Amino acid sequence: MTTTIPSPTAVLPEPRLVRHYRQSFGRVIRFEWIKFRTLRASWVGQALLVALLIGFSALAAAMSNNRMGDTGRAGRFAEMGPVAIVLTGANLGVLVVGVLGCILGAREYGSRMIASTVAAVPRRWQVVLSKAVVLTAVLLVSTLVGVFGAFFLGMSVLHSGGNHTAALGDPGVLRQVVGMAGYLTAAGLLGMGLGILLRSVAGSIGVLIAGLLVLPQLAGALLPASWDPALKYLPSSSAAAFTTIDRAGTDVLSSGAGAAVLVVWVLAVVGGAVWAISRRDV
Amino acid sequence: MIELHQLTKRYGDKVAVDGISATIPPGVVTGFLGPNGAGKSTTMRVVLGLDRPTSGVALVNGRPYVDSRAPLAEVGALLDAKGTDGGRTARNHLLALGATVGVGPRRVDEVLGTVGLSHVAGKRTREFSLGMGQRLGIAAALLADPTVLLLDEPVNGLDLDGIQWIRALLAELAAEGRTVLLSSHLMSELELVADHLLVIGRGRILADMPIAEFIANASVGTVVVASPDAATLAPLLAGDGVTLTSTEAGTFEVRGRAADEIGDIAAAHGLRLHQLATHTGSLESAYMALTRDEVEYAGAVELHAPHAGTAQRSAA
Ligand SMILES: Nc1ncnc2c1ncn2[C@@H]1O[C@H](COP(=O)(O)OP(=O)(O)OP(=O)(O)O)[C@@H](O)[C@H]1O
Ligand SMILES: [Mg+2]
Repeated sequence: MTTTIPSPTAVLPEPRLVRHYRQSFGRVIRFEWIKFRTLRASWVGQALLVALLIGFSALAAAMSNNRMGDTGRAGRFAEMGPVAIVLTGANLGVLVVGVLGCILGAREYGSRMIASTVAAVPRRWQVVLSKAVVLTAVLLVSTLVGVFGAFFLGMSVLHSGGNHTAALGDPGVLRQVVGMAGYLTAAGLLGMGLGILLRSVAGSIGVLIAGLLVLPQLAGALLPASWDPALKYLPSSSAAAFTTIDRAGTDVLSSGAGAAVLVVWVLAVVGGAVWAISRRDV
Repeated sequence: MIELHQLTKRYGDKVAVDGISATIPPGVVTGFLGPNGAGKSTTMRVVLGLDRPTSGVALVNGRPYVDSRAPLAEVGALLDAKGTDGGRTARNHLLALGATVGVGPRRVDEVLGTVGLSHVAGKRTREFSLGMGQRLGIAAALLADPTVLLLDEPVNGLDLDGIQWIRALLAELAAEGRTVLLSSHLMSELELVADHLLVIGRGRILADMPIAEFIANASVGTVVVASPDAATLAPLLAGDGVTLTSTEAGTFEVRGRAADEIGDIAAAHGLRLHQLATHTGSLESAYMALTRDEVEYAGAVELHAPHAGTAQRSAA
């Protein structure tokens, strides 16, 4: 292997050079963006999410067309209303995007990349916040592509089957479609925060699935109805206030309150990640 | 310049670094020497702000590293853990790190060339050998032309070519006025490149001196004594500043007494000497003596150690 010693052109960083190399939040965002886009999981996860949303929409719409009067699974689609039918993939999509978030948060701990990251960005809160900025920006794009793709494809399938359809202009429909993109993005952020908090991909995925899917189902089924006022504050239930996501219990928040509660969940988990990364040894 | 003031780092009950104070000046290569578990990596991690000190402070160019305005341009570090995501290519890894301080693709390609990794720049780092990973770590450390270099066991896994190259590189970087601290648990890795030595053992500084001084101290030398009466002779030689080390049954090394002195003591007690030879100490043995802990000092002379081989020989 040929190696050359660099010629002694390098001069000692003077104040001028330090200014040239100065770190800024923008540069840290760029760092996280490069890390994000050079990881295969980032793109596999998003492609899977979009494919799921659109694929399930077409499938559910077709099943709904074929078996309008059935009492079985397909019959349920008929009862769900057109928006819920075409967004049915989101119930699984939330898993995909959540897992992607967990990977982005925790993977660096497995590889020890986190040591390089924190050495390069010693003000660690910037690491968490710039990760969140990158993830939010990217997921908003892919989830919006996914939900609108699912909406238009699903509605055209329903229309061709002579089924009920909904238009974006109908009351509450646009809110439900865009809200779903917001909920999916929030799930990604929750996963990212949990990944950093728990420093384990498997552990954070476990907690995320428990919190978003298992706990609401269990609580809804097992707890007495007197718990319903509390269950509406679960992340998935708060999203049910402005999307077609299933909720635990019968109570539901107003759509504005639901969105606010979901934002609080995200802020709490991402804030917890900032707190944890700032006080822990790497 | 790196300054350590009463730096202590505890992990639970374990004291990894025990109140060390030192100044690592710019312009010279400082070797950070100590046996496994001495606290070298811990010290470097604390300097970089990766681990929080239990007490004390570590300053880089006069302030804590976390307050640095241009972190990678201030300190370039190679840590003991690889610190790369195996799914990312070498070039992308460096592009990402460089972005934190505005270093672009041109400089990335330049350092890849410097460390001899240009031809594998597009390879995922999980396919890298130990030495290639080490070279990538060195590239990351050099990326933003830092004023301070912290290199934890940099020659680990490097081939002979690589070792000679990094020695020359470090000497040159120090000559440019940078602060260079590199750790090793082997004196032989440092004696050709370090100007100054910081020896650490069990979290404490054992020596902090120019390597020339260390060499001068080391050449005090040891005396090898072989005697069938070793068991009787050894206690007679003990005293302040005297170290006895048994190499095999009936033979031991004395540090702190001259050969004539030992011969006279033996004669005065009518003890037989089969060998009495002065050895000018090597740097390695001086370092060994320095880091041998108290417990080992006390039990250094094991003249009655039941060597099966010896027993058989004397029976025959
Ligand atoms: N994260 C940690 N948790 C608990 N103990 C630790 C941790 N890191 C280091 N130690 C302990 O601190 C001591 C110093 O370790 P350190 O890694 O600094 O040694 P070192 O001088 O770098 O050794 P080596 O030559 O083997 O790399 C060791 O006893 C080690 O077991
Ligand atoms: Mg070490």
